[in-house]
Amino acid sequence: MPDPLLYTKAMGVAAFISMALVLAIFAWRRRLKMAELNSVCVVGIGFGLVAGYAVLALNLSWPPANALDRLLLIIVPATLVIELIAGFQRVPRAVAWLIRISLALVAPWILLHNSIYLNDSGDWTPWQVGLVIVVSAALLILVWGLFSVLSQRSGGVSLPIAVCIAVQCAGVAVMLAGYIKGGAAAIPLVATLLGTSIVVQGVARFFSGKIDVSLPQKVVVPGVVGVGLVGLFGLLFIGRFFGEISTLTAVTILAAPLLCWLSEARQLRNRKPWIIAAFRLIVVAIPLVVVLLAAKREFDREMSPLLGAAGRQDDQRATECNASHFLILGQLLAERRESSGASKSEGLAPFR
Amino acid sequence: MPRVFSLSAFSIVLSAVFCCGTDATAADEYDYDLVHSSVSFKARHLDISWIHGRFNDVAGKFVLDRDDPSKSTFALTIKTDSVDTANEARDKHLRQPDYFDTKQFPTIEFKSTSTKAIAGGYEVTGDFTMHGKTNKITMTLMGGKEHVFKDVKRVAFSTELSVKRSDYGFDKNAIGPIGDKALIMIDCEGVRK
Repeated sequence: MPDPLLYTKAMGVAAFISMALVLAIFAWRRRLKMAELNSVCVVGIGFGLVAGYAVLALNLSWPPANALDRLLLIIVPATLVIELIAGFQRVPRAVAWLIRISLALVAPWILLHNSIYLNDSGDWTPWQVGLVIVVSAALLILVWGLFSVLSQRSGGVSLPIAVCIAVQCAGVAVMLAGYIKGGAAAIPLVATLLGTSIVVQGVARFFSGKIDVSLPQKVVVPGVVGVGLVGLFGLLFIGRFFGEISTLTAVTILAAPLLCWLSEARQLRNRKPWIIAAFRLIVVAIPLVVVLLAAKREFDREMSPLLGAAGRQDDQRATECNASHFLILGQLLAERRESSGASKSEGLAPFR
Repeated sequence: MPRVFSLSAFSIVLSAVFCCGTDATAADEYDYDLVHSSVSFKARHLDISWIHGRFNDVAGKFVLDRDDPSKSTFALTIKTDSVDTANEARDKHLRQPDYFDTKQFPTIEFKSTSTKAIAGGYEVTGDFTMHGKTNKITMTLMGGKEHVFKDVKRVAFSTELSVKRSDYGFDKNAIGPIGDKALIMIDCEGVRK
C-alpha cells in the first residue's frame, strides 16, 4: 500500500543529506572549479540516494533478483561512477560520451536480465531482443545528448527541475499502473536531484562573492542531468516491460524534458531568466499532466472492480469512483489490523 | 575358451536386461493431467475473508516406485502468468512486480529431494521455488490410489501447504490488506506415459 508519510520522510532525508553534504564540501573547500563541483554533486546525490532508499526500505536484494534491484544496485551506481569520471578535466569529452553510450547500450540488457524476454522460453526472438535494446538505448542517448547540449548552451536551474518533474511523473505513472514499489523508487531520486540543483544554484547566485566559487549563474551540473535521465529511463523501462505502462506513456515522459528546447526559439531566447524558466516548466508539464490524467483514468477504471462495487458496475458513479479513497481505506484497515495483533493471529488460525 | 567367454558375456547382458526390466516395472512415470487436476490458493483479505484463486497452466511429472518409495520423485511447474482469481483487473495486478512479477519469475517450481511412505500417502520433502527464492518444504501427499481407465493407468494425490509470502522475497510493504500467509491446495491426477 502506498504510504504518503513514509514517502515524505524518504524525500526529506534524501534531500537533506545531499544538500548538507554539498554545502559542507562547499564550506570546506571554498575553492571549487566546475569539474570539482560535478564530483561534489555526484557524491551528494549518491549519499542522498542511499539514505532515501534506506528510509523507504525497498527490500532490495543482492545479488539483484529483479529489474528494480538491478536499476538501483547496478545502473544508478554505475551512472554515478561514470559521471564522476566524466567530470574530471583530464578525461576528454569524446571518452566521457563513449562511456555514457556504453552504459546506455548495456542498461536495457541489464534490466531485462533473466526475465522471460531473454530466456529461451520467452516470447521474444533474438531479433526482437536486439531491436528493443538498440531502440531503447538510442532513445536514452538521444535524450541525454540533446539535453546535455541544451544545458551547456543556455543552462538554468529550470533544466534539472524539468528532469525532476519528469522523474516524479514517471514514478506516479508506474504506481498508478499498479507497481507501487517501482513508483516509490522515484521519490529519493527526485529529492536528491532537486536538493543538489537548488544548493548549486543558491551558491552560484548568493555566495559567489563570499566564497571563492567561480560558477556561472546558469550552471547545470552534468552529473545531475546524467543521473536524472538514466534514472528516468530506468523507471520507465521497468514500468513498460515489467509493469503495465504503455509504450506511448513511457516515450512521452522520457521525451518531455526535451521540450525545454522550445525556449531556444528566437522570440524567447533573450527574455528574462524567470520567463524562460517558467516557459520551460510549463511546456514540459503539459504533456506530463495529460499522461498522468490518462493514467489516473485508467487506474480508476481498473480499480473499480476491486472496490467490491460489483452490484453497481453499470452505475456511472462506479466508474467515476475515486480510487485514491480505496487506497486510504486499505491503509487505515491495514493499520488497524497491525494495531490489533491478537485478532490477526486468531484470523490466521486455519494455517496453524 | 572363446565359447566360454561369449556364454558368460551373454549371461551378463541378459541379467542386466532383466535387472533394468524389473526396475522399469517397479517405478511408474506419470505426467500431470491438466484436465483432471488443479492448483488453487487462498489468502486472507483484510483479515476478515478469503480470496480464492487458481493457476490454469501447470505441468509436472512424478515417478512412483511402490517397492522403494524413497526412489519416488515429484516435480511440478506452475506458470505464474496463468493466475486466475475470477477478476481480470486483480489478476493483472497480481502479475505485477509487487506480487508475482511474472515477467521476471515466470514459474513456481517444486522438485522433490526425498520421499517417505506414510499411511495413506507419501511425505515429500523438496525445493519450492517462488519469486526467485528457494526454500525447503515438506508436504504430505495423500492418495496414490491407481485406476486404469480405457487402458490408461492413472494415479491421484492431494495436498495442502501453507507458505508465507515474506519468506519468498515478496515486498512486505506490498502485502498490505492481503495476508502474508497463503494456503495452496494441489489436487493432481497423473497419467502413465
